[in-house]
Amino acid sequence: MRRSSTRAIPPAPSTPSSTAAPSRRPRGPGRRAAAVGAVLALTGAAAACGNAGGGSAGEADFTGEPSGDLHAWAFDNADDVGQARLDQAEAALPDVTIDLDATAFDSQKFTTRMASSDVPDVVQMDRRVIPTYAAQGLIQPLDQCFTAHDVTPDEWWYPAVVDDVRWNDHVWAVPQFYQPPAILLNTRVMAAAGVTADQIDTSDPDTLMAAIEAMYAESGGVPVTLGLDPNPVGQAPLWILGSGGQLIDDDGRPTLDDPSNVAGVELLKEIIDAQGGYAAVKSLTDSFDSFGDGNQYVTDQVGAQVNAQWYPNVLSPYVGQVELEAVPFRDADGNPFSVAGGTGFVIPAGASNPAAACAWMIELTSMDAWEAAGAARAASREADGGINTGIMTGSPEADAAIRDKYVVPSGDDGFDQVIATYYDVLDYGRTFGASPAGQDVQDELNNAITAALLGDKSIEQALGDAQKAAERAYESVTKQG
Amino acid sequence: MTTPTLAHTRRASPLARSEARAGWLFISPWLVGFAIFTAGAMIFSLVLAFGRYDIVTNTVSVTGANNFRDLLADPKVATSLGNTLFYAVLAVPLEIVVALCLALLLSRAPRGGGFFRTLFYLPKMTPAVATAAMFFLLLNGNTGAINRALRAIGIQGPQWLVDPAWVKPSIVLMTLWAVSGTMVIFLAALHNVPHELYEASALDGAGGARTFFSITLPMISGALFFNVIVLTIAAFQIFDSAYLLFWRDNTNASPEASLFYAIYLFQKAFRQFDLGFAAAMAWVMFVVIMLVTLVQVRLGNRFVFYEGDQR
Repeated sequence: MRRSSTRAIPPAPSTPSSTAAPSRRPRGPGRRAAAVGAVLALTGAAAACGNAGGGSAGEADFTGEPSGDLHAWAFDNADDVGQARLDQAEAALPDVTIDLDATAFDSQKFTTRMASSDVPDVVQMDRRVIPTYAAQGLIQPLDQCFTAHDVTPDEWWYPAVVDDVRWNDHVWAVPQFYQPPAILLNTRVMAAAGVTADQIDTSDPDTLMAAIEAMYAESGGVPVTLGLDPNPVGQAPLWILGSGGQLIDDDGRPTLDDPSNVAGVELLKEIIDAQGGYAAVKSLTDSFDSFGDGNQYVTDQVGAQVNAQWYPNVLSPYVGQVELEAVPFRDADGNPFSVAGGTGFVIPAGASNPAAACAWMIELTSMDAWEAAGAARAASREADGGINTGIMTGSPEADAAIRDKYVVPSGDDGFDQVIATYYDVLDYGRTFGASPAGQDVQDELNNAITAALLGDKSIEQALGDAQKAAERAYESVTKQG
Repeated sequence: MTTPTLAHTRRASPLARSEARAGWLFISPWLVGFAIFTAGAMIFSLVLAFGRYDIVTNTVSVTGANNFRDLLADPKVATSLGNTLFYAVLAVPLEIVVALCLALLLSRAPRGGGFFRTLFYLPKMTPAVATAAMFFLLLNGNTGAINRALRAIGIQGPQWLVDPAWVKPSIVLMTLWAVSGTMVIFLAALHNVPHELYEASALDGAGGARTFFSITLPMISGALFFNVIVLTIAAFQIFDSAYLLFWRDNTNASPEASLFYAIYLFQKAFRQFDLGFAAAMAWVMFVVIMLVTLVQVRLGNRFVFYEGDQR
């Protein structure tokens, strides 16, 4: 399937609006009572006031001809890739006037805008929280939007990407980006320790631990070089799901205390304990100059580190100073494995121009938009002489097109191998799971991981406590919906 | 038969009435702002505390005391309240002591007092984000300047930002960095202590400690009392420094130890959208602060000396 343009569709009826409840008038015998009454009335009116902007989570009509004003929010920090897509979408929708609020997404601002009837038509947000908003009725299901534009989500995006935003049998967002993690190797440290890339195999813990211990170095009781930085909190889902665990069930309920989750945490604990313990490792990784000239690969502070696909892009200016390779993270059966988040576009309940919103989101993630983005990125790299590490769009077809056309040999074999490895793991993605309590599941998992790694709790106890807290969050969110 | 007092019988003069009207007029912007943004919001939150707020329809359905029952059943509420109380008990006395010491030093500076006042006040002017970034580096357990200094004198410093036992002390350190607002109030109070009292105590042969505890401290007890109350209230509401140090992303190493009441309230309101629960939490905190302040006022009245008091 090649998505390249928006279909012309008949006009849509307007979105329904809720009505305002009547306000109360102050009554009372005295002036003091009247003053108090006035305040109460003011508050009562605020409390009872309906959402003039619509506030209805009912089915919107996405089939209208896209036109009119479109208020979009949170497409922030647009780089060359983002700007090229924005320009492409704007050109494809000549009858739509786009008003872009380029500030970052903020749940407090979203809530306030909804309550004050200032409802944007499109919002970009993290995929992890989208089911939470869906469960609250704050955003609209987009199945009809996809149908209206002949898009089959499971064909256009990787299944793991769509599964991030599929909840309660609906797809709630137009997803974008899938930047998978892999293990980025510092071959200089590895060679000095006599370690080879095939030893960094997460499906073979004994070999992996021997390699980590060979590369690990400390000075004065403080670690100075980590054999492997597993990124235990940020990449906890990778380790647990990759070891056969399950964090969320098919209904979106947390399953943190599932016995299958123990193996991944055990492996993490073994890796961390072999390198001075969690506190020491965390303090070292906190001190990394990850985006600067003294980054952990230039300064040999890591032998290997789990990193998302965007990080080699950060390292590309240091070609010649770093010696890199990459290997996939492997599941317990030895197969490549990846879990990654990303963002998505949603249409809030009560949005006034859903047809234009739908068309704009679809255009931003179309092949035309990604080709424009690929060209823009290639032009940027040509201008600065940097390495084009590719763009991982979330769509297999767009990824392949950009790779084929713009990702060329860099002249550095190590970097080329790294780029190829990240492309190779794209097909092995798995979703974190979609849950109304997705962010809380992530946080409680982090709680459990840190408590277990610090030795404050046993792994089972930590996961059990996390499950109870995540369950409470799940109940809290779903009771609100 | 008693004679009615003049106050009860005499009508206000036209001038007094005009002045009263002008007074009301002048304060009316504040009154309107207070009614809408403070009193109105408080009453609305009270309504929310006994209901369930639907953001989509912008309506509240009354659920009675359910939110308060849920609050009692949620162990994170107790955890966050415990963390907050611990922080307040640790932070407030230290802030008072450090601010008072700095103020005493500055009040005795023979020259360059203005320069040091400015220097000491600069941290207060530094944005919280910048302060947090600085302390993130300073408090690094391996490479931070504080632990390097401790190591130089043979002490192995703690993992400030990772070890749950040191998370709250690390936030207290960050709070102490910006203690200059309190210091300025003490400084003003110290300048108001009459010199004759010090001269008299010197003539009586009182030493430094005796002079401090018998003259300085009683004479600035009003400022001390004010600072204790204000700092206690601020400590119960701690949010930004803890949020910036520990909750800015998903890499919090001590989520339980760094969960303060206001942070959990924020999470309940704007991540789980349980605004009724969050409002109930806010009112519980309001009552806690009110009770603590009442106790402080009761105790304070015994010890605080105000100029012009008949005691």
